[in-house]
Amino acid sequence: MSKKLTYDAIVVGGGPAGIAAAITMVKGGLKVIVIERGRFAGAKNFFGGVMYTHAFRDVLPDFWDRKPPFERPVTEQGYWMMSPDSVVRIMHKSQKYQKQPADSYVALRAKVDPWFAQQAVDIGVSLITKTVVNGFIKDEKGRVIGVTTDRPEGDIYAPVVIIAEGVNNLLTQKLGLIQHDLHPHYVALSVKEHISLPTKELEARFNISGSNEGVAIDIFGDATVGLPGLAYLYSDKGGVSIGVGLLLSEFANHNIKPYEVLARFKEHPVIKPLLLGGESLEYGAHLIPESGYDHMPALYTDGVMIAGDAAGMVDALHREGTNLAMTAGKFAGETAIEATNKQDFSAAFLKAYRKKLEDTFVLKDLKQYRYMTDFLDTTPQLMDTYMNLLNDAALRYFTAHGMPKRDMENEIFGMVRQRRSLIGVAQDMMKLLRGMRG
Amino acid sequence: MHIVVAIKQVPDTTNVRINPETGTLIREGVPAIINPYDVHAIELAVQLKEKYGGKVTVVTMGPPKAAEALSECVEQGADRCVLITDRKFAAADTLATSYVVWRAIDVIQQEEPVDLFIFGMQAIDGDTAQVGPGVATRLGIPLISYAVKVESIDPASHTALIHRKTEQGTEVLQTSLPALLTVLKEIAPERRAPLPYFIHSLEYKPEVWTSEAPYSFDVTQIGIKGSPTIVGKAFTPPPKEAGDVVKIADKGLSGTVSYALERIGHAGVVDFLADEGKGGK
Amino acid sequence: MSENVKRIWTFIEQEDGIAHPVSWELLGAVQKLSAELEGSVVEAVLLGHNVASIAEEAYHYGAKRVYLIDDPVLEHYRNHPYGTGISKLVEKYKPEIFLVGATILGRDLAGTIATQVKTGLTADCTELAIDPDKKILAATRPTFGGNLMATILCQKQRPQMATVRPRVLPMPEPLPVAEGEIVREELGLKESDVAVKLVGFIPSKEQLLIEYADVIVAGGRGVGGPDGYKVLQALADELGGVVGASRPAIDAGWLPREHQVGQTGKTVRPKLYIAAGISGAVQHRVGMNGSDFILAINTDPNASIFQIADLAIVGDLFQVIPELTAQVKSIKAKRGIKEVNGGSDV
Repeated sequence: MSKKLTYDAIVVGGGPAGIAAAITMVKGGLKVIVIERGRFAGAKNFFGGVMYTHAFRDVLPDFWDRKPPFERPVTEQGYWMMSPDSVVRIMHKSQKYQKQPADSYVALRAKVDPWFAQQAVDIGVSLITKTVVNGFIKDEKGRVIGVTTDRPEGDIYAPVVIIAEGVNNLLTQKLGLIQHDLHPHYVALSVKEHISLPTKELEARFNISGSNEGVAIDIFGDATVGLPGLAYLYSDKGGVSIGVGLLLSEFANHNIKPYEVLARFKEHPVIKPLLLGGESLEYGAHLIPESGYDHMPALYTDGVMIAGDAAGMVDALHREGTNLAMTAGKFAGETAIEATNKQDFSAAFLKAYRKKLEDTFVLKDLKQYRYMTDFLDTTPQLMDTYMNLLNDAALRYFTAHGMPKRDMENEIFGMVRQRRSLIGVAQDMMKLLRGMRG
Repeated sequence: MHIVVAIKQVPDTTNVRINPETGTLIREGVPAIINPYDVHAIELAVQLKEKYGGKVTVVTMGPPKAAEALSECVEQGADRCVLITDRKFAAADTLATSYVVWRAIDVIQQEEPVDLFIFGMQAIDGDTAQVGPGVATRLGIPLISYAVKVESIDPASHTALIHRKTEQGTEVLQTSLPALLTVLKEIAPERRAPLPYFIHSLEYKPEVWTSEAPYSFDVTQIGIKGSPTIVGKAFTPPPKEAGDVVKIADKGLSGTVSYALERIGHAGVVDFLADEGKGGK
Repeated sequence: MSENVKRIWTFIEQEDGIAHPVSWELLGAVQKLSAELEGSVVEAVLLGHNVASIAEEAYHYGAKRVYLIDDPVLEHYRNHPYGTGISKLVEKYKPEIFLVGATILGRDLAGTIATQVKTGLTADCTELAIDPDKKILAATRPTFGGNLMATILCQKQRPQMATVRPRVLPMPEPLPVAEGEIVREELGLKESDVAVKLVGFIPSKEQLLIEYADVIVAGGRGVGGPDGYKVLQALADELGGVVGASRPAIDAGWLPREHQVGQTGKTVRPKLYIAAGISGAVQHRVGMNGSDFILAINTDPNASIFQIADLAIVGDLFQVIPELTAQVKSIKAKRGIKEVNGGSDV
């Protein structure tokens, strides 16, 4: 077989970023191939989290008619702040969440990714699986004009390649778009379990009435052993996704094992009764980029653009990642169409991709929260001292019956002074402001 | 060369679970795979096609889902795939199965004469190894089972040299073609199939034949009617009683081993270790 | 004999004039079946060239009549002439039940005959019985990798055919005195009618025949590599046994396939089976759970093999096996035992 395999565009990776790019490009008349290394698109992820419908609508305006296999709409969401034996909850529930499609859904990407990929295939995208892209083909000027794969006769040519390879960004590194491998300080390890619960129990325990309601809870404090990280509890169709994520460096520095953190979290007096009688269906872990704005790879070079986790496009504070990925994929696709029309695939032209990201929430948010990781890192008291303080203050407040309330207020004030000092609090406020506002 | 391969989509028996109460197979969550022996049959066929030129046709009898298995065959290099599927064929034992597969092959070979038929040695769900011999008998062609190597094919004399494994060694057999081989895994190691085959599989849709056209059947020979054997009952094998467990930590290495030899002696399974005059310790 | 006689046939497999022991194991089982099936007779089928003397042996295992086709074309086994000859016999004498050993030859032959005479065939049975109500053969076999057992019936078509692997049925004691008759039939094929020729043979380097060993010392993943098997071989030598292996070790290339015990390897029924570093997946267990005494050694106290072991030792095989070898040596020395012959009788 000596015929060269040639396409208008190659997409590496069949996840949200890659498929969004592919759909965008095929709608623009390009001949597109997506190369996925897993057995099927979605095989290589373990996502049980929240996905945002604005991103789907941007890529596929009629996505809702195509019946995406989401779990539950998020009709109540918020934060639980835990101390070792108690929790302060700030939750928001509103009738306004109850529309179809809802603003966000709890989703299992093991189901959603294959569906999303099928939508791409249905409109003409070529998707090959079980194939690994392991290198690039370059022209005499060093510009990327194709990829090599791990199959015999496996070279594929295209003037533009969109890399959506996920958090283990080996190809991105190979191109020199980032100088180093993943740094433990800029990637988190999230350990998760899918637990099935009988519907009656699920609905009773989480105050859900029917399959059109669902809850998404982000959890801080004791859950993450007082370290910077995030725990979560989301209601799936038939149970919950429960997990804990910490920066990889924290596991190493404090000599803790990932499965121990999750096991401990499940034993918390507030969490344990919620899981009673549940059956563990699946257990696994995944890496999540936490590089932030300042440690992202370069997003493009001659003939190449990078989108999604490979480019570190995750905003952990707002639990956003898949929507950044899909939006970036769409922008990469649009830029590829424009480049094809102009027949100019140089870095100078592809810069337009970055501009699109800068003009929208994708890079705006990453830039705004660029100091967040470092802030959390240098403010350990956020997860530890403040969470306990909050819970202890709440306890004091709510049990101050029969005592002069002024004394109670003084006590609480005293707790703050003693555990953090007023100056400490002021400093933390300043740092927080900077971390939040960029 | 025109080579026909017959495959079967089976549950992955290493992952199978049985409902202990009803004694039936729990099919949910058990992945369906191409019978592992058949993967090597396809591999052999494609490698022979690459060496001698020609085409590979794959047939399978099964439920509609078996079409997935056929797509995987095209990814490996098959040219044409036929899915034989109809409720009427269901619940067939090996006699009825070989009958239906033969009827389909008969049509295929009339369209284009076939030089070689390759079947996997056995399917890992039934493990009977009977369908290959059954089809060869119906076709009236030589059967070579336990084939481990195709040494050579001579298109001029229409013969082939095949290695067949036996308990004592390997027979070297010369056979006229067409012939039917049932193969062991060593006949062709699995490899990463060339990318162009995968690309071809994206376009290719397997043909689907039901009990209507393009072949004719004697209805008394298909499905349940055509199956002389039936399952009288199915049950999970009774668990054997567990014996006792000894830890080295408890009796020490020497003590544990002496105890083991005592038990073996008691059981009378090794003459010279039998009870009288123990010694050793 | 009356027309209603039910002939229970056993195929006597032979190579170079020597009968395969599975044939006698089958005849042993047939004697029991015949006792439960009124009006039945025990008979055997023998094909080959210059093999009439084997018929004598068959009488000592209970066959009252041996149907013999003796022809130079049948000198070495080939599917076509053997299948044709036997099908002819079946069509003429219409046996009720026909059993074949599930050896490589048997599995090649049985499906061919069953298809030619259009009858039901149950492969690799672990148990044969006569259904007391229906008075037909009830053949039990493992399916789905041994996870589920099924009892198969062939209600209408005849003969009811079944194959059984060597060493699944016990070897019967031969009768000291026995008589029977030979019925000779013609093959009706010439050499030129047979399209397959045996043009060469490459003998295996090892004459293992693990199915016939009385003692097997088997190693699995725990052995760690090909060198580890030397330790097992030393113990096997002392006990007069052979070394076996589970499938992962074979797939990894640590031992040739002849040593494989299990679903896709050999079924063994030794007197003593020592499983060292074998976890005991069901596919392995179905290949050896008929052993008389099973000793399992594994560092994992939860290894599934422990569930079927008569004695399980939680420990490192590289400590236990050499200790066993040493103690066995010592016992033999004390009792003045020099050579221990292997249990293989082929």
